[in-house]
Amino acid sequence: MHARPAAVLSLAAAALALAAPPAAALGPDELKRVVATLDDRQRNSGDWKALCYMEAKEKGKTDVVYELLVYRRDEDDKQLFLFTKPKAEAGKGYLRIDKNLWSYEPSTGRWERRTERERIGGTDTRRDDLSEPRLSEDYTAEWKGDSKLGVFEVHELVLTVKPGVDVSYPVRRLWVDKATLNILKRQDVALSGRLMRTTYTPRWRKIYSESKKGEVWYPEEIRIYDEIEKGNSTLILIREIDLRPLEANLFTKAWLESKSR
Amino acid sequence: MTGRRDALLVLLRISFRNLAASKVRTSIIGAIVLGGAFLVVLGLSLLDSIDKGMRTSIQGSLGGQLQVYDARSEDALELYGGLRGESLLEPIEDFAKVKQVLSAVPNVETVVPMGIDQAMVATGNVFDVALERLRADVRRVEGGDRSPEALRGYEARKAHVRRMVGLLRDELGQARSIADLEGRDAEDRRREWADLTRAADDAFWAGFDRDRYGNLEFLENRIAKLSMDGGFTFIRYVGTDVDAFFRAFQLAQVAEGEMIPRGRRGILVGKQYAEEWLKLRNARRLDQIKEARDRRGRRIADDEELQRWVRENRAGLKDILLQLDPIQAEEATARLRRALGPAAAAEALPALLARLFDADDATFDARYRIFYDQLAPLLRLYVINVGDTITIKAPAKSGYFNSVNVKVYGFIQFRQIEKSGIAGMMSVMDLQSFRDLYGYMTRERAAEIDAIKRSVGATDLAREDAEAALFGGGGALEGESRAARIDEGRLLADRRADRPAEDLSTRTYSQEEIDRGVALNAALILRDPSRLRETMRDVQAASDRAGLHLKVIDWQQASGLVGQFVTLLRVILYSAVVIFFAIALVIINNAMVMATLQRVKEIGTLRAIGAQRRFVLAMMLVEIASVGLAFGLAGAGLGGLGVWAVRAAGGIPATSDLLNFLFSGPALMPTLGGGSVAVSIVVVVVVSVLSGFYPALLAMRVTPVEAMATED
Repeated sequence: MHARPAAVLSLAAAALALAAPPAAALGPDELKRVVATLDDRQRNSGDWKALCYMEAKEKGKTDVVYELLVYRRDEDDKQLFLFTKPKAEAGKGYLRIDKNLWSYEPSTGRWERRTERERIGGTDTRRDDLSEPRLSEDYTAEWKGDSKLGVFEVHELVLTVKPGVDVSYPVRRLWVDKATLNILKRQDVALSGRLMRTTYTPRWRKIYSESKKGEVWYPEEIRIYDEIEKGNSTLILIREIDLRPLEANLFTKAWLESKSR
Repeated sequence: MTGRRDALLVLLRISFRNLAASKVRTSIIGAIVLGGAFLVVLGLSLLDSIDKGMRTSIQGSLGGQLQVYDARSEDALELYGGLRGESLLEPIEDFAKVKQVLSAVPNVETVVPMGIDQAMVATGNVFDVALERLRADVRRVEGGDRSPEALRGYEARKAHVRRMVGLLRDELGQARSIADLEGRDAEDRRREWADLTRAADDAFWAGFDRDRYGNLEFLENRIAKLSMDGGFTFIRYVGTDVDAFFRAFQLAQVAEGEMIPRGRRGILVGKQYAEEWLKLRNARRLDQIKEARDRRGRRIADDEELQRWVRENRAGLKDILLQLDPIQAEEATARLRRALGPAAAAEALPALLARLFDADDATFDARYRIFYDQLAPLLRLYVINVGDTITIKAPAKSGYFNSVNVKVYGFIQFRQIEKSGIAGMMSVMDLQSFRDLYGYMTRERAAEIDAIKRSVGATDLAREDAEAALFGGGGALEGESRAARIDEGRLLADRRADRPAEDLSTRTYSQEEIDRGVALNAALILRDPSRLRETMRDVQAASDRAGLHLKVIDWQQASGLVGQFVTLLRVILYSAVVIFFAIALVIINNAMVMATLQRVKEIGTLRAIGAQRRFVLAMMLVEIASVGLAFGLAGAGLGGLGVWAVRAAGGIPATSDLLNFLFSGPALMPTLGGGSVAVSIVVVVVVSVLSGFYPALLAMRVTPVEAMATED
């Protein structure tokens, strides 16, 4: 029995494909550099104010929509969320100082201590989704391989939280665009190994920062899909960025109270 | 006619003679019948009494006789909560209309609006609570209030917080001695210790007034987090027209404090809820030990649970120590030294408290009194007290979280069932606050949200399509932005213009305002509760005519699982009775067959002298029916005696929450019902006759010839 030439060629091509060398592994130094770059690209060094839109969808319920301002002073690890729309939610906020996360309700004048796992405004957003990442500081990274995400070539990394660090999720899987080092996809995993959320960041923008003396990158669109409650999702759009220095006393309860009064 | 009577008399004489002649057989059958009658009478009496108790508890606490809710609701109404939490009910958008239509039904006396839900109450950790109060004082002082009262309160609060910092430092100082100060968190630990040292230092408090807000933030963010306790608790409440509620539910009463003033916002916290969830843990454990000793006869010496409570009380002194300001601590020390005798004369407060709680059976009652007479007046026994304003927070139906401040006017309990958590966990809140928490999505609000969405042009993307749509190569991954100038003053301008002009806590709402708006269900109180079924039909018809889409259910159905408990008990009793009588039937039948076989000669003789088959059949049936009736009556009498004995012994104690609720009191006092006696007699006679029917048939077939052929 003789094989036809076309079939022989196909087999040869398949054998060649199978025999192709695997993607080069990211060595420890290279991996460290990649994770440090992810942090550094989003690092601002100075003050940060962003006008955001947040929309949460829950199965069988009406959409929850917010307009909010996110303030950051990264060098002091301070953060403040101030809701501005809808009217009934305006003036509510969150204040983070060190490891304290406070929520404020202007209609009752009450401050409540919350945890890192707080669902911001009842959505699937966590506080650290809108803060400067500290992946190198909080996690230990491992390279799992390279693959494709849509048309993009990506590194797949697994980050495991370092002992004693309080973060929203102890394990995070990242899909990082090889060409630009933008994070395209992230999966948050609970300690039990259960997949909790999948986040997509398909659009990245850069803005010149005077305090950094360089460019700061931020995800313009963040889509978070709940993997436990299928059908629940949150969309965050970062619409405007203001990098002027913030008031010195902005990250205080008194300041937020004054804005809500 | 006379002939029949004579025949009956003959039958009875023969029957009684036979019964007397076979004493063993009669005794066995009689004992079975007697046991059955006793079981039926006692069981039915107990069940009827439980049924009555449950009816009282449900109708008098939340249920009324009838309940209505929107028929399009996803769940059925369960007043006391179901396995999946609160019922998901479609809102009754305009309660006023429901009230108007249903009040016109002749037998309906009152229509009470309701909305049952759960919410969170933030209790914070003890530091957060103390600092929140200090913050309120700081606001007053910074706002220019320099009255002696304001300044005195402010200084006392400062002294209290300072004492708390000292206690926390002592506690963490002990922990520090065993902590790893070289590990990864060493820097954090060192910083925390430095913060605590600063906060405990005289210089910090001497300079506190120079920057009150700054120092408060330091205490709130650097010190309070070190106190690892507290948080929030859940509260179950019914939002209602409070006046109508108290008129409708006779068991409801204000246990402490006062009634919410007519038309005002406020809450009455469930007394049982407060005892279980809001009370100082040491006091709660003392109450539990007392209850176990006094009512259940348990003893610390031989009860591991009571010993554990004593141990926990002795070790858990922190809550008490943190509560006392310096003057109160001094006073508590003096009082305890006096009360605990010479051995305690030189002891410090922690040692005195440990001595107070280290009780055994001999000392418990005295220590209990010392705690409540001497120490409790210096303490906040409950996290929430009468007169406090608490913040309640709940996820609203619009999807957002809503919060309200409500004043606690008092604690509510339900008479007779004070110890039961089923109703006692429930707090009662005004309807306006309920509506604020419920957060019904109004048309205006929906339009506003829609406008916000449209303004950003956000697009929906399903999970399964996301990767292809986002990374399929359609758009640029990177781009450039320019810095903007964001003015929060402009963004918040709308809110300022929209703020309510008055303090809602002092506003009095009219009856029309209370009625107009959302409720989730409504209780109906009937003028004549015995006409429940008929009224139920009338209410349904009235609702249908007015297009209200209401579902009408009775109190038992509305009570959900609780209401099914008596049905379950009834099924169990009936099953036991059926099994008992099935076995009885077989035993009696066998005994009677044996007796028939022994009496073949006698029956043959009767037949030979002219007795008809029917006479023999009747003779056998009268015989067994006589046993059934006689011993049935005796059994019923014994059952009655059992009921009397249970009552004389003080009833059956309610040893759990559920029993307290079902018995509508601390003990079940059964009553003997004529119905129970009648049913038991009928049942045992019918069972007896049935079990004697086959032997009677055998006897009927005996012929004189067969009888003569039979050997002895």
